[in-house]
Amino acid sequence: MSIFPKWTNWLPLVLLVGAMLTGGAVTAGVWYYFTPKYTRVGYEPVQPVPFSHKVHAGELGIDCRYCHSMVDKTWVANIPSASTCMNCHSQVLKDDPRLAIVRESATNNTPIPWVQVHITPDYVYFNHAVHVARGISCVECHGRVDQMDEVHHAKPFSMSFCLDCHRDPAAHIRPTDKVTDLGWKWDSDPVKAAHMQEVNGAKFVHDWKVQSLQSCSACHR
Amino acid sequence: MNSTPTTPTNANGRRYWRSLDELADTPEFKEWLHREFPQGASELDGQNRRHFLKIMAASFAFAGVATLGAGCRRPEEKLEPFGKQPEDYIYGKAEYYATAMPTRTGAIPLVVKSYEGRPIKIEGNAQFPGSNGGTDRYAQASILNLYDPDRAKRFTKDGKTVSRDEALKFLDDLSQKFSANQGEGLAFLAESSTSPSRARLQKIIAQKFPQSKWFTYDAIDSGIHQRAATQAFGQSVKPVFNFDKAKVILSLDCDFLGGEDDTHNHIRKFAASRKTGEGMSRLYCIESLFTLTGAHADHRLRVSASLIGQIVSAFAQKIVPEPPDHLVQLAKLPADIDAKWISECAKDLVAAGKNALVVAGQRQPIEVHLLAYAINSVLGALENTVELRKTTQNESADFKIFDASATDTLVILGGNPAYNLNSLPNAKTIVRLGYYEDETSEKANWNFPAAHYLESWGDAITSDGTLVPIQPLIQPLFGGLTELEFLARIAGESQTNPHDIVQTTFGNTGDWKRFLFNGFQLEIETRSMAVNSLFNGTLPQIKSITAPSTQNLEVIFYRDAKVDDGRYANNGWMQELPDPITKITWDNAVLISRKTARELGVQNGDIVEISLNGKSVKGPIWTQPGMADYSLGLALGYGREKAGRVGTGVGFNAYKIFSGKYVETGATIKKTGETYVIATTQSHWSMEGRPAVREANLEEFSKNPDFAQEMHDKEPPVVKSLYPNPFDEAKKTALHQWGLVVDLNSCVGCATCVVACQSENNIPIVGKDQVSRGREMHWMRIDRYYTSDPKRQNNRSLFDPNADMNQTDAEQQFAKWIDDVQAVSQPMLCQMCEAAPCENVCPVNATSHDEEGLNVMTYNRCIGTRYCSNNCPYKVRRFNYFDYNKRPASALKGPFYPTPLLNKTDGKWDLLSWFKAPEASGMREEDEWDLIKMVKNPDVTVRMRGVMEKCTYCVQRIQQAEITQKVKAGASGDIRLKESEGTIPKTACQQACPAGAIVFGDISDPDSSVSDWKRSSRNYSVLGELLTKPRTTYLARVRNPNPAMPDYHAPYSTEEYEERGGEFHAAERGNS
Repeated sequence: MSIFPKWTNWLPLVLLVGAMLTGGAVTAGVWYYFTPKYTRVGYEPVQPVPFSHKVHAGELGIDCRYCHSMVDKTWVANIPSASTCMNCHSQVLKDDPRLAIVRESATNNTPIPWVQVHITPDYVYFNHAVHVARGISCVECHGRVDQMDEVHHAKPFSMSFCLDCHRDPAAHIRPTDKVTDLGWKWDSDPVKAAHMQEVNGAKFVHDWKVQSLQSCSACHR
Repeated sequence: MNSTPTTPTNANGRRYWRSLDELADTPEFKEWLHREFPQGASELDGQNRRHFLKIMAASFAFAGVATLGAGCRRPEEKLEPFGKQPEDYIYGKAEYYATAMPTRTGAIPLVVKSYEGRPIKIEGNAQFPGSNGGTDRYAQASILNLYDPDRAKRFTKDGKTVSRDEALKFLDDLSQKFSANQGEGLAFLAESSTSPSRARLQKIIAQKFPQSKWFTYDAIDSGIHQRAATQAFGQSVKPVFNFDKAKVILSLDCDFLGGEDDTHNHIRKFAASRKTGEGMSRLYCIESLFTLTGAHADHRLRVSASLIGQIVSAFAQKIVPEPPDHLVQLAKLPADIDAKWISECAKDLVAAGKNALVVAGQRQPIEVHLLAYAINSVLGALENTVELRKTTQNESADFKIFDASATDTLVILGGNPAYNLNSLPNAKTIVRLGYYEDETSEKANWNFPAAHYLESWGDAITSDGTLVPIQPLIQPLFGGLTELEFLARIAGESQTNPHDIVQTTFGNTGDWKRFLFNGFQLEIETRSMAVNSLFNGTLPQIKSITAPSTQNLEVIFYRDAKVDDGRYANNGWMQELPDPITKITWDNAVLISRKTARELGVQNGDIVEISLNGKSVKGPIWTQPGMADYSLGLALGYGREKAGRVGTGVGFNAYKIFSGKYVETGATIKKTGETYVIATTQSHWSMEGRPAVREANLEEFSKNPDFAQEMHDKEPPVVKSLYPNPFDEAKKTALHQWGLVVDLNSCVGCATCVVACQSENNIPIVGKDQVSRGREMHWMRIDRYYTSDPKRQNNRSLFDPNADMNQTDAEQQFAKWIDDVQAVSQPMLCQMCEAAPCENVCPVNATSHDEEGLNVMTYNRCIGTRYCSNNCPYKVRRFNYFDYNKRPASALKGPFYPTPLLNKTDGKWDLLSWFKAPEASGMREEDEWDLIKMVKNPDVTVRMRGVMEKCTYCVQRIQQAEITQKVKAGASGDIRLKESEGTIPKTACQQACPAGAIVFGDISDPDSSVSDWKRSSRNYSVLGELLTKPRTTYLARVRNPNPAMPDYHAPYSTEEYEERGGEFHAAERGNS
């Protein structure tokens, strides 16, 4: 009679298989959750209308707020209605087949089903207006949309991404009239620009009493 | 361990007790106290934990397989903007419109919040002259009726759905048919209304169909004040009671704070008169039911409601000069009524002169009202505390004279006569406009769905005579008709659009747009000057009655605090709201006094059969402290047979023995032997006699204004913590520090705040079964404590002589000394402790402090350990045991919510069906779900199963205000919210409170009202000795009894506190 019952013979094997399974799960987890793909970076759905931000915002230099007109008024940056497009396109490219859907939408008041690219989870209450009004540029979260033909998801919208900025707003804040100027820099010389950002950022944060809230209630309620 | 603060519980001390069981200290109650959650609260019915784990393991395995295959990428979502941008529309910005909720004798001016075209929250119109923005329970809850999936949605003829056009054509035909014969055989049955447009249409109908008849019927008749005033002063007037001007108020069975119409005005005015110090008003209350008014009276006389006539005669005899003989004869009081009580009270009234006010309740007969007016008139109170306003009376007959045989077509507007009157007269054709497919529509030949007032154009006149508009916030969801359109079509008017009808009535009396914008029109004839007149009627004769006894019980039919006359029966918020006094949810009961219950040999939960005038009804007994002996209190509005899935079958139908008199004698009761479980919240989360509510008499208060702060239990010795509270550091840089104060002196416990909170914060309905397990979800509750005199408690001579002096606990509930009780109400919400016990024990940091002093809850972090609730001394945290928000309407009442995990539908395991087709899981039907979702506030998370939740001080409103200010500030530092600039948000409870008893604001601003209130000597923290440093504090209550009265109580509170072993501490201790 041994102190170890017979089933303990299987113990090494069980442990080995267990370790392999655990290891596999950890690897798979890291592989899945720790990649940018999990936060949808690079996500670029095909939109119903081949609208190019590069042409409109970049080359033509139309201000973001011409179309996303409520971004400084409410929590949501609205997708413009077709009637906004038709302000120009009733004259420019007015018979272009690519705009057929837009014309139909403006005439019949049928919505265009744009595919949502940027999304925050339902438990996050993000407000565009307060960020835009207080000198946080669109580019901080959306990247160089003025260089994108089809919009893609440029930054990871993870909690740490939000917190990076909320912990150090001075590194991101800019004059409020430059918020929609996506390519704007303090200076063409990167070293000088970085220095100016540091100096002016700290000044803005101090003068404007930027709170950069990190408590849970800032975003979750 | 010895340093743990304990509450001294000397048996001699006055304790605040919450229920009879608690006072009786029964073993059941002790167990209830010692269990953290009630039995079953942490167990799944019929399944033990082991079985539960097995199934959980299986389901996780399923889930694992599913993940491997389908993946869990987020679904693609579409953004669909308008084709044409509407002007001035901003996505996600709430809009506010002025409107009004019509009531029986007036209207409540409102401002309704509309989000993306759907109304989501009702507030009072603070711009309305005199208003503080407060509302009442019914107004707050009425928004849920709008999205009720059970409301009438179709036009029917003899039970079959017909098209809207067909139904409207029927009305045209009806109009033509009766214009041919002058309206012979046409009758209308309507509820009372103050709408000038309806009155105009009624006149048009009377002209076009001179032979037609118009009847008015209200199950709850609030019109008696107007009828009595009209009779007393010989012209068509209605009274406005100015409680704010009154110094001495005598209520004769008048529940002006609870069950009467227009309570939001009464509460506001009454609270204004109760400011502590010189000129604080005094309230005497003579009543049989224990009402909110009685609970806030300085002197309360417990007497059968049918004896009030005699008592008011005694008052009149003392006050009216040269009283007529019949009055003198009648004024002989029953032996058990203290004559000194009456004479001293009368003296006080006379001393107050024109500042006295005598009000008779709407349940009392007109003679009592006339005598009350006579007394007011003699005292000189007219034009001061009682104002009379001219009013117009519509031609209308009493429904009692309705002759069915002479009626061809009976048109019923609203109401529910088949239920309220027990039967519907058999007219040849019954046409009905109704909000629900209810008992009446079952008997009607034609049914038209009615529009909710938030879908309607209309008008009304408030109790003070101001014209207010009712404007729609949304198109009728189911094509319902308004009363105005319905009547206009029957009248054959060319103008059937209700908007045009109202505008035509309004005419050129003012600026229409401004009228709609403001929500009222002041310069209107109906408001007019007071009638300068004295009582000129002869004093009425009141019949003497024999005092009620066990064989001749008195029955009081009262308007329910929740379902009104039955119209809110299908409103889950109202059903689940604990009654302000009894704390019963989802039921009504036969309220009875302790003595009567003992004599009849019945106790709580016994089902009895009540017989009155040859009719009978069965209901469960509920012993109510403070009830008059030999009275039975029956709430109307329950026992609905066809109310909808929520309201059908809740409680018993007291209308079955109701014959139109609200107080009737001659009833007997018989025990049936059956018992019934009543779900009450009354003894949940007991405070075990700690000085939670602190009060003193005015006399005591003026001698020692710091009494409340001195009633502070012993604090443990504090050792300096090695780990400093991080909040102390964080608050140095914060912009605001939020705090809230509740003035217990103003609060009457009406529970409007509770419903407002439920509406604002998406709080689910859990059902009777869950309430009885202590799982109700209200973030804010009103604790109601009964108090009784310890000297009387200890006085053996007051015990029932027949009782065995060695009573057991169970018998003690029948002891006589607890019949005369006082009651206090205390709104209890998250105390936002600076040193919050809940935060320390959360293993996942789901509850934490923000820098502005809010104890915040992060739902997506919560894993549902419930440790926080365990550690909360105030028991204000609520746990989602189930997905309450996703329950079908039919499952709201219980008996038990089936989990998808264990439940089977049609023999198929729900989990398996869900796995196969997640969309079609046995939850709600999609369209119904969409409708119910519309009432939700989009700024507040809808919590799911397994998540803890609690009051947030309406953090969404705070955030909204802060963001608005920051957007406005832009590139500047002007981001602080200031009361002086009006940028401080209001919490939902504060905004809804008609008494103005709640103030919220920034305590770091010394000029804010909240700081001002916190500096009051009456300010104290509940359980402050635990050093939790609550941000929610209370102002102690001050009573103002008359020292000359026989039932004057010496100010006990401080003495008894000592007697119990409590100590006095310097006033500066404890309160942050």
